[in-house]
Amino acid sequence: MVVRRYTSMAYKNPDDIVFGKAVYPVYERFGVPIGAGFVVPEIKVAPKPGSEKDLETFVKHHKEFTEEILKLCLQLGFNYIMIEQEHVFQQTYNPNYAYETAHAQVELAEKYYNEYGIGVTIRHTIGDIRKAEAEGGLRESDLTKRMFESFEQAAAAGVGDLAIETLGGKEVVDYAVARGDIKGVLFGIGVCGSEDMAWTWPQIVKIANKYGTIPAGDTNCSGANTVMFLAGGLMDREVSHTMAALARAIAGARSLVAVEAGARGPLKDCGYENPIIKAITGVPVCIECTSICACAHIDVMGNLNRAIGDVYSNESVEYHQEFGGSTAEVWTAVTGNAAALSNTALQAKQEKILRDLLTYSDMYRDPQGLILSYPNAYRIGKVITQYGKDPYLRAKYAAIEAGNIILEAAEAKKLKLSRWELETLNKAMETLKALPDDADKFIDDCLKEYANVPYFNPKNYGW
Amino acid sequence: MEGREIGWAMVEGIIAGLKPSVKEEAIDFDKIFVRYNVLEEEKKLGLKPEELVKDIMPKDEPWKTIAYAVFKGDAKTALEETKKALEKFPPKEIVDKGLAPGMHAVSKLYDDGIYYLPQVMLSADAMSAAVQFIEQKVGAGKVEKKGKVVMHVAEGDIHDLGKNLAKVFLVADGWEVIDLGRDVPVDEVVKAVEKHKPVMVTGTALMTTTMTAFPKIAKKLIEKGIKIPFICGGGAVNEDFVNTFELGVIAKKAHQAPKFAEAAKKGISWSDLRAKWHEIAPA
Repeated sequence: MVVRRYTSMAYKNPDDIVFGKAVYPVYERFGVPIGAGFVVPEIKVAPKPGSEKDLETFVKHHKEFTEEILKLCLQLGFNYIMIEQEHVFQQTYNPNYAYETAHAQVELAEKYYNEYGIGVTIRHTIGDIRKAEAEGGLRESDLTKRMFESFEQAAAAGVGDLAIETLGGKEVVDYAVARGDIKGVLFGIGVCGSEDMAWTWPQIVKIANKYGTIPAGDTNCSGANTVMFLAGGLMDREVSHTMAALARAIAGARSLVAVEAGARGPLKDCGYENPIIKAITGVPVCIECTSICACAHIDVMGNLNRAIGDVYSNESVEYHQEFGGSTAEVWTAVTGNAAALSNTALQAKQEKILRDLLTYSDMYRDPQGLILSYPNAYRIGKVITQYGKDPYLRAKYAAIEAGNIILEAAEAKKLKLSRWELETLNKAMETLKALPDDADKFIDDCLKEYANVPYFNPKNYGW
Repeated sequence: MEGREIGWAMVEGIIAGLKPSVKEEAIDFDKIFVRYNVLEEEKKLGLKPEELVKDIMPKDEPWKTIAYAVFKGDAKTALEETKKALEKFPPKEIVDKGLAPGMHAVSKLYDDGIYYLPQVMLSADAMSAAVQFIEQKVGAGKVEKKGKVVMHVAEGDIHDLGKNLAKVFLVADGWEVIDLGRDVPVDEVVKAVEKHKPVMVTGTALMTTTMTAFPKIAKKLIEKGIKIPFICGGGAVNEDFVNTFELGVIAKKAHQAPKFAEAAKKGISWSDLRAKWHEIAPA
């Protein structure tokens, strides 16, 4: 199903990876170049509770906050804006909701582009509303059909690009991570997640191509971000941060599948694994990190991904009023000004200095930041391409490489690890190194070991 | 690595031609951030977990072996020793004297900031395996529980990790959980509450437009004269929202669940729980 596998790096030198520039830029509708020498701000608003009660109210709400965003961009002088609509359940379950909201937003984008020359693109991220336990499972259920129909409708309405957060393997990851089980995390993200994407993505690309819309990208929000959220802050004790770092490296191998199936970027903002995938593929990426997305969640990577991002996103904010305006306006101002700083650096040809300052601000704060800092993301990418043809092997060795990076930094006394972080890392490394190199053997073993995990059904992954 | 700039660091074989952008050696990272988790753990380095819970753990066999199997998350031993014990002792005694102390010890170490979630989960798995075996042998309902809790994930939402973690904490603490699963319609939740008469009901949601099921559930429960605490949590759910409807009480972490249940069982009202959750069930 997947047409290609990456076995070499698009970037030949990690020092070439920088924000606002990608090897393969993408040009969206209404004048928005991405990865072409500019950082584009992104705003994402979660509709206010109750707005979903009927189509008319829902569309009206979307129109209102979209226009607020566009007016604010004019007030602050922003050149470009990406407005992302991450579908709520009702928006994907009812494909006409997808069409009508997308249509209303695209009309406004076109209007502002024509009247003021501001570059506006609309992204619709279709909700992965599939349920493993539904009749027909992930691949054949009514929910699956509705999901693809919503892709079709959003594309037909003229959105700039399409994205998704597929959730294949989530049930295994949820089970494994709470138990500190790296093998289950590898199986859930690296194998089940990759298999599900290899089934899903060619269909998304086909729909996008039919309408001339850009198939953008995926993210392991359902896996590695769940691990990251559970890992939480430094004082939380749910999941070790070294485990979260390994899960992220595995996600790099997994989310790559979208590009292998024809996604062109910008990859989805909450894919914290995007530095790895940008290094491998050269496609532009949307990013988020706490300094621009604290409205949605707090992580220990305050500025990090801004160092390599081509689109800066606020992740998501519920619509309500703040002192500075609506949250749609306030967070447009935040991402727009963060992008302006990076664009200033690009214009002044000082982008590598700013990139490195953004990177250093978080590189040694946490193992997760360490492995995602661009030289290390590149290093993990190289290992992924070395084993590029085998989704399992590349995920396994990505995790081992991430572990090596953390241990080296700890050895050099640059990254301070707690005893628990070190113990869990050593245990995970021991487990990973003991795993077979034969994917079939690994999968057979996991099918037995995780057979009783709630909602896990091998049929959902073609086994 | 010391002294090299970032573009060079840790990259093998491709360093030729790079020019330093920012010198790493110029940065004192201790003046940028502090890894407080490392410092906190150092304070506890001398503590031996088993010593800290020795007063909780049984000293006589077979309870000692069963309790330590649960404590260490050793499901196989917990199950085998429970099977043997069931030949001589009543189920209640096995739970009270063997399984529960082991779980209690792990929970205490977690509450005291010494143990971590995976340790609690593995111990809970060990205890659940033993309890399930007992129930298969003597019949469900024969193992005494503290009370019932109805749990669900909102309609339209399949993100159930938070619910599942809270369930583990509740089961490990001796509660019977009526787990309605994920993507559960409003009326199904209301019916389950009517049928099972739990001390409290929980709901989790990730989206702003699925959590709107919660006030609908609360309204229907009140219409039926049911005024138990409705504990709500999840990604999109915040305290401001939960406080807009009667019965609603915010929860931020899974481990709060047993404390909420204990409070509800004692008859503490939803409004008091809402006002005092920081003290009753700190996150």
